[in-house]
Amino acid sequence: MDRFIDLALSAVLLAGLYATMAYGLGIIYGVLRVVNLAHGGVIMMGAYMGWVLHRKLGVDPYLSIPIVVAASYLLGVAMYRVLVRHLPRGAAGGPASLLLLFGFWLVLRNGAYLLFTGDDQSITTAWSTSSVVVLGSQLSVSRLAVLAIGSVIPVGLHLFLHRTHLGRAIRAVAQNPDSCTLVGVDVERIYAITFGIGTALAGVAGLLSATLFAFNPGSGSSELLKSFVVVVLGGMGSVPGTGLAALILAVVEVFAILVLPSYLTSAVGFVMLVLVLVIRPGGLFGHRVLG
Amino acid sequence: MPLLATRALTKTFGGLRAVDALDLHLEEGEILGVIGPNGAGKTTLFSLIAGSIPPSAGEVLLDGVSMLGRPAFKMVRSGVVRTHQIVKPFPNLSVVENVVVGALHAGGRATGSARDRAEEVLAFVGLEDRTHAFPGTLTLAGRKRLELARALATAPRVLMLDEVIAGLNPAEAQALATLIRRIRDERQVSVIMIEHVMPAVMSLSDRVVVLDRGRKIAEGTPTEVVNDSVVVDAYLGENHGGGSA
Amino acid sequence: MAVLPLVLELSIYTHNLMTLTFLSVAGALAWNWMGGFLGQVSFGHAATFGVGGFVAARIVLWAPVPAPLAWLAGGLVAGVFALGAHPALRLRGPYFSIATIGLGEATRLLFTYWEDFTGGSSGLSLPIETALKHRLYWWGLGLVVVVTAATWLIRRSGLGLQLLAIKADVDAAADLGVSATFYQDLMIALSGAVVGVTGGMWASYFSFIEPNDMFGFDRSIGFVLMAVIGGVGTVLGPLLGAVVFVLLRQYLLASYPQLYLGVYGLLLIFIILFEPLGLTGLLRRLWRRLSALRGKA
Repeated sequence: MDRFIDLALSAVLLAGLYATMAYGLGIIYGVLRVVNLAHGGVIMMGAYMGWVLHRKLGVDPYLSIPIVVAASYLLGVAMYRVLVRHLPRGAAGGPASLLLLFGFWLVLRNGAYLLFTGDDQSITTAWSTSSVVVLGSQLSVSRLAVLAIGSVIPVGLHLFLHRTHLGRAIRAVAQNPDSCTLVGVDVERIYAITFGIGTALAGVAGLLSATLFAFNPGSGSSELLKSFVVVVLGGMGSVPGTGLAALILAVVEVFAILVLPSYLTSAVGFVMLVLVLVIRPGGLFGHRVLG
Repeated sequence: MPLLATRALTKTFGGLRAVDALDLHLEEGEILGVIGPNGAGKTTLFSLIAGSIPPSAGEVLLDGVSMLGRPAFKMVRSGVVRTHQIVKPFPNLSVVENVVVGALHAGGRATGSARDRAEEVLAFVGLEDRTHAFPGTLTLAGRKRLELARALATAPRVLMLDEVIAGLNPAEAQALATLIRRIRDERQVSVIMIEHVMPAVMSLSDRVVVLDRGRKIAEGTPTEVVNDSVVVDAYLGENHGGGSA
Repeated sequence: MAVLPLVLELSIYTHNLMTLTFLSVAGALAWNWMGGFLGQVSFGHAATFGVGGFVAARIVLWAPVPAPLAWLAGGLVAGVFALGAHPALRLRGPYFSIATIGLGEATRLLFTYWEDFTGGSSGLSLPIETALKHRLYWWGLGLVVVVTAATWLIRRSGLGLQLLAIKADVDAAADLGVSATFYQDLMIALSGAVVGVTGGMWASYFSFIEPNDMFGFDRSIGFVLMAVIGGVGTVLGPLLGAVVFVLLRQYLLASYPQLYLGVYGLLLIFIILFEPLGLTGLLRRLWRRLSALRGKA
């Protein structure tokens, strides 16, 4: 029973992280209809950004969140303005957008190798080793922090999208970019901003992830896949939906440890991805996913 | 026995009944017109008959045999084909290659190589001088003919035309109407056509069925239907002679 | 040019390089059947490469079966294995591609830990046969000829047209009688089988294979890069792309190993933004310009 609570709590903590990552991927897809295949790369960069700030400048990872968010946001805007803008929108851009962003991911990977070598890194601070007792279980502070931050972000995002002028503009563009142009909304600017928000979320997810797990320049593919699982399962535009989906994924992963040998637990995410894509024909954001 | 018939055909999307317990039939050699206000369920009806979407209830019968569960690509091989309201040429294939794709699925109803038949159909619709061109270079009228040619190449018994005439100028529309009549007369194809352009429907159709909100509200010869007050009410505000899609 | 060894004495280095190029060309052409003709970009083809390689290696280790038969068997198993992706085939565009990342990685994990079969991280060693390694040049060339011919035939035939139709608009294709599921299954099995055969040949060539390499994501990326650099969806494309890829790889590994990924990334970016049909596109543009010049003269 104790073990069960341990695992359940672990799952909840992980869910916040997954929800944040998923939102980063989902918001870009929801508004631009582009799958950001460099998502994993940006997550990796977020992790390194935090690591550099911690290592070289002694900045506490939680304090560096605003910096990482800002830097990742700018990276995203740049990615849009320099690269993604030139692609045809929607289905026509399909394979092209995938390959373009994939190419950029490779560049990010290489950049990281050159700057940081291929060794595993992680961000360890005093928080990583201290723990707190919750419901009779020992929980590390870093995990709790990830949960807290990981929960605040989607809520903040939801409020942003529904209560602010910019947020409403973004939602409008997601629904109907042409009409928005007609009423004077600068759609290109919205796209750039949205891409930036997506990468900002990815960056901060990377930072948070770095406080929990080791990473290296090659990291990112499993994060990409997990984000995708959550996005497809949860549906866009729904904070509770994404949250629930993130929780489901986290629960399945954590409890899979009971059944599967440890090295296969990452395969769980991959298998779930395929299952989810096949069993949920309801479609992503109302689009037909299946052929 | 009618060539094609629907029996209590129904399709619901969420709470909406797009097609509601529809019974209609197509006799061999007929041109059947399907008209109705926007949103009446006409294109959904085509998708159901063609097998692109499964019915929520009811069935489609070809030669009296139920086609329930038969997907679109098999329906084509059985001899039922449809064109699209918004034409969908394959932009990466030339005009003749587009038609060959259809010609490959004539299901034994035609003889000769697919390529030869494709060229013959192109000549029939008048596109033979654009054989190797790409669809992007065709005018709308040309692309509508291509869509028609592709469907014809499948050697269908039932050809379903979804607003082929809409959007064409009067001369083009007249030419296409003549073509449709020739298809029925010379190629033994029975036609169901959805159309908003009233003069075309009235002059081409042997019989007309009127749909409104998924249900059949009238059926008969063009003259009978036009004078039916129920139909006039349903079209409230729409012109008899001026409607274009 | 490929028949030069009959005439000249090529250095061992060039000879080996060409052998590897042949294997890459065949693999790239087969990948392109899915990615270029059907329009389903797979980021997981290393799965079939690895299956083919390990099955062939296991057969050779188990009994004195002539290597070519082992390669064939490996290819067959790989083709059947590829059919496991059937549920993912129904997915459109980007969803299919992402699913293949998942399938590829899941396959890698599974086989890496199936130590009895693959030897785990220690890999499998095969008896070294220099004569076979030398003859692989001709086997590779033969495979390239067969696969190129098949590609050309496919493109010209009704099959090719239907594949391209599915790529353009799967619904409209179905409305004309094309069974997407059938062709998707067929092409992924064929594509997987050919790539599996190249995997077996690779195993015989190096006499040592290891799952993290054979099934690796980097290897899957290789297929994509070769086809895209050369010109996705064309017959010439994967051929050119594979040659460029192998040569570039040799050069980079020798001179700038640390820039390896970045160069490919930049290449991809440039190609997508400026010349989507890669090298083949550039050549076509050049050809048109030359024809225009000649026309004026």
